[in-house]
Amino acid sequence: MNRVDLKIVLLGNAMVGKTSLMQRYVHDSFNGNRPYQNTIGTVFAAKQVQVNGVSLVMGIWDTAGSEKYDAMTRTYYRGAKAAIVCYDITKFSTFQRAKHWVRELRSIEENCKVYLCATKKDLCDEGFVSDDPDLQNTVEKYARGTQTKLFITSSKTGENVDKLFDEIVQDFVSNPENLQQVEEAIVLSRKPEKRYCCTVI
Amino acid sequence: MEDVLNDVVSSEDLKKFESVYHEQLRASHVTQKAQFEYAWCLVRSKYSADIRKGILLLEDLYNNYDTEKRDCLYYLAIGNARIKEYSKALSYVRSFLQIEPANVQVQQLETLIKKKMEKEGLVGMAVAGGVIIGIASILGLGIAMAKKN
Ligand SMILES: Nc1nc2c(ncn2[C@@H]2O[C@H](COP(=O)(O)OP(=O)(O)O)[C@@H](O)[C@H]2O)c(=O)[nH]1
Ligand SMILES: [Mg+2]
Repeated sequence: MNRVDLKIVLLGNAMVGKTSLMQRYVHDSFNGNRPYQNTIGTVFAAKQVQVNGVSLVMGIWDTAGSEKYDAMTRTYYRGAKAAIVCYDITKFSTFQRAKHWVRELRSIEENCKVYLCATKKDLCDEGFVSDDPDLQNTVEKYARGTQTKLFITSSKTGENVDKLFDEIVQDFVSNPENLQQVEEAIVLSRKPEKRYCCTVI
Repeated sequence: MEDVLNDVVSSEDLKKFESVYHEQLRASHVTQKAQFEYAWCLVRSKYSADIRKGILLLEDLYNNYDTEKRDCLYYLAIGNARIKEYSKALSYVRSFLQIEPANVQVQQLETLIKKKMEKEGLVGMAVAGGVIIGIASILGLGIAMAKKN
């Protein structure tokens, strides 16, 4: 697959569940028994989706999340159409970090739509209490105030995961400019391969 | 396009991280972070001279610091695969998998490398070279990783 129409980045602390979210969405699976594997650098996955009769290629970049990779992460959100900023529903500190990413994206990547994503909803449903009992209220208020869409998901059960990505796709295609670009890309990819020569700047 | 072996660094990024590294070099104090970031750009360059330089920087980090060994191994495997040093690339992958056998990201990298070799008709050759890095580095890594936990 050579084309990516809709670039999405996953941001947020290490351990909040970014890789699991991508795994659930792309492969519809979850492995809770594996020892934690901290993602190294970034991982890419592609997924094709049909919307309004158009087949578009979604490219998802999963990032490491630890602060030592921040400078690297910044080079990956460039040109993204959407960012899913994740926080762990049981950990207040991860929301602090999520806010930091939301702020940064809003000021640097104007064309990138930002989605807040609470992870591990299943823990909440099982009665596990967050380290800040007021976290969800705080988040909801923040989301309203900053006009950020908020999704409360579980990669373990799959709850709301498709809903989140579907919303991203819908927002993307609701902009005619985006659709036009996709159509142009499709036409281009059908033509016999062009040979580009290196340009010297 | 976007698999980790073909992901190419933009020249602005390379320049940016290069200048940070060189500034620190001039001040005779290079941080691990600056060295790693610069190396991470270099191994994704389209020029093999850059990649080789990146590999040297990563080897230096790997040998001299106990932290970030797994990150170094991962990018050493990528760098070597990109300059077609497949046997080295695969031994880095194997050293990693000795420590974290179930690591999906690295298993995927191994598959990618093997696919690339297959495309180039090189499958049989890697096995022989793979042993070279061998026990010493695996042990070193094991100790370093054990310390972290
Ligand atoms: N209960 C539960 N655990 C989860 C969920 N998502 C991720 N985890 C666990 O949280 C840990 C971190 O997940 P991972 O996706 O690797 O986080 P990342 O560092 O943000 O990529 C792992 O142990 C996962 O099994 C979820 O929806 N529910
Ligand atoms: Mg991860």
